[in-house]
Amino acid sequence: MLRLMIFGVIASLWLPVPTAWGEPAVRVVATTTVVADLVRQVGGDRIAVESLMAEGVDPHSYRATPRDANRLARAELVVANGLHLEGKLATLLSRLSSRRPVVFLGESLPEERLLPIGNGLFDPHIWFDAALWSQCPTAVAAALGKLDPAGAANYRQRAAVYTTRLAHLDTQVRDRLAAIPARRRVLITAHDAFRYFGRAYDVEVIGVQGTSTESEAGLADMNRLVELVVSRQIPAVFVETSVSDRNLMALQEGAAARGQQVRLGGRLYSDALGAPGSDGDTLERALLANVTTIVRALADPEMSAEVADE
Amino acid sequence: MMPLPGVLGALLPYNTLVVACGVAAVGCAAGVVGTLGVLRRRALVADAAAHATLVGVALALLVTGQRSLAVLLAGGLGSAILALGLLVLIRAVTRTRDDAATAIVLSVSFGLGIVLISGMVARGVPGSGGLERFLLGHAAALTAADAMLLGTVSVLVILAVAIGLKEATMVAFDPAFAAAAGWPAAMIDLVLVALVAVMVVVGLPAAGAVLVTALVVIPPVVARQWTDRLVPMLVLAGGVGLASGVIGVAVSSASPRLPTGPVVVLVAAGCFAVSLVVAPRRGLLARWRAGHRRGRTDYLLMTEDHR
Ligand SMILES: [Zn+2]
Repeated sequence: MLRLMIFGVIASLWLPVPTAWGEPAVRVVATTTVVADLVRQVGGDRIAVESLMAEGVDPHSYRATPRDANRLARAELVVANGLHLEGKLATLLSRLSSRRPVVFLGESLPEERLLPIGNGLFDPHIWFDAALWSQCPTAVAAALGKLDPAGAANYRQRAAVYTTRLAHLDTQVRDRLAAIPARRRVLITAHDAFRYFGRAYDVEVIGVQGTSTESEAGLADMNRLVELVVSRQIPAVFVETSVSDRNLMALQEGAAARGQQVRLGGRLYSDALGAPGSDGDTLERALLANVTTIVRALADPEMSAEVADE
Repeated sequence: MMPLPGVLGALLPYNTLVVACGVAAVGCAAGVVGTLGVLRRRALVADAAAHATLVGVALALLVTGQRSLAVLLAGGLGSAILALGLLVLIRAVTRTRDDAATAIVLSVSFGLGIVLISGMVARGVPGSGGLERFLLGHAAALTAADAMLLGTVSVLVILAVAIGLKEATMVAFDPAFAAAAGWPAAMIDLVLVALVAVMVVVGLPAAGAVLVTALVVIPPVVARQWTDRLVPMLVLAGGVGLASGVIGVAVSSASPRLPTGPVVVLVAAGCFAVSLVVAPRRGLLARWRAGHRRGRTDYLLMTEDHR
C-alpha cells in the first residue's frame, strides 16, 4: 500500500496530467525559446510545446529547415513573437496562418506600448519588460481554450497566475537595479535587444549594431560609441548569448586607446533562453540572471571579475 | 593600453585608424594579385573562392567551437583552396568551359555552406547564429589584431608576386610561349589562383564576399586603362586599391550608418568611371579625339591595333 502511494506520488510528479486519452490536448509549436516558455507557463501539462529554434539561436537570421516545415505542419497551434523578430520565417508563418491558428504575441499588444523603429515597424524584443510581457498570456490562453474547450478554464487560471508572477518579477527587477548609480545606468550590448527593458526599468540602452542583428554598424557609429563610453566612464559592456561580439571587442579596444578600461560585463540572455538546467531556462530566471549580471558589472565595477570571452 | 603612433593618433579616432590600416592593406594586395588574375582572365575565380569559404568557416566553428577570426579564416582558406583545386581539375579533365566550371564550383560550394550553417543553427551549435553574415564582412568591427593579420598576409602576398614576377609576366602575357619554353604553366597558374584565394579570404572580414571580389577586379581594370606594361600596372592597381581603402574608410567614418566595405568599393568604382573617360588612349575622351583627328577609317584601325 505504502509502495503504491509512493509510486503514485512519483508518477504524479513526473507524468503530465493526462487528458481523457493520455495525449496532450494541444500540440503547440513556438518559434523561439522565449515564446515556448510563455506557452508552457500557460498550458502546463495539458499541452505539448516545442520550440523551433534551440537555445542560443539568433532568431533574426534563423531560416526554416524542411524539418521545421514538418513540425509546423503537424502543430495544432503556432505561437510566434511577431513584430518581424522571426524575419526569415515571416512568409512561412503568414502562409501557415491561413490553414491553422497562428498567434503573434507582439501584434496582440496595444500599439501605444510598442517602441517604433521607423517605417511603421516596431521593436520586437518585448519580453524583458515583465509588465509588458504579462499582457501576452491571455492571448495564448484564449487560443488554447478555443482548441481545447475542456481545458479553457484551466488555461485562463494559469494565465492569471503567471501574470501575477510577472508583476512580482517586475517589482523585483526594479528593486535590484536601484543599486546602480543613475550616472552608470547605461547598458551597451551587441544589438538593440533591451530597449523595452531600458524603458521599463530606467536604464539607458545602446546596441552597437541596431535593432536587428542583420544591420551593420558603420565606422562613425563605432567612433561615437567610443566617445560615449569614455566621456561617461562606463565600466562595462555586455555580450549576448545569441549574437556575435566582434563589435564589442572593437569598442573595447577603441576605449582602451583613450585610457578607459571597459570590461566585458558578462553574457546576457537576449533573444534566446538558456538550456534546460542553466540559470536562464525560463524567462523569469533569464531576466533575473541578466539583472544580476548587470548589477554586478555596473553597480560596483571593482568587485566584478572580468568574464573571459569563450 | 595600446599607444597610437604620434600625430595620426591625435588626429584620428583609434578605430578609424585600425580599420583604415587593415582595409588599405587588403585593397593594395587585392589590386596587385587581381592584376595577374584579370590578365589571366581568372577574375571570377575570386568570386568562387569567396563563396567557397563558407563551408570551411562553418566546419572550423563546428570542429574547434571557436569563433575567433584566425580560426574561421583558416577554415575558409582551406575550403576555398580545395574548391579552386576542384575548379582547375574540372577544367583539365572534363573540358568544361571556364565560366561554367567557375559557376558550378561557386554555387555548389556556397549551397553546401548554407546547408551546413542552417543545420548547425537548427541544432543550436553555439556561435552559429548569423555565421553566414561572415560573407558580408564587417570592417567597423576590426580590432588591432585583425588589422595586423590582414596587413601581414597582404605584405606576404605582395612579396610572393614580386618574387615570381618574371614567371608571372610570362604566363600572364604569353602563356603559349611559356608552355613552349617548358615552364610549368599549370603550376604557376595554380599558385596564382591560390594567391587570389588567400587574398579573398583575408579580405572577407573587411569587405565581404561580393565586395572583396570587386576589390580584386576593379583596381586592375582601372590600371589597365592607363598602362600596357605589367609593373606599372601592378603598382597602379595596388595604389588604386590602397587609395580606395583609405578614402572609403574616411568617408564612412564621417557620417553615421554608412557601412565601410560598400563605400570602399564605390570609391574604387568611381576611379573606374573616371579612368573610363579620361585615361590616355583607352579613355573615351582620347578615343573620341583620336577619331576626330584621323577620320573614321583610321580610328577603327587604331582600335583594332590595341586589341
Ligand atoms: Zn534581437
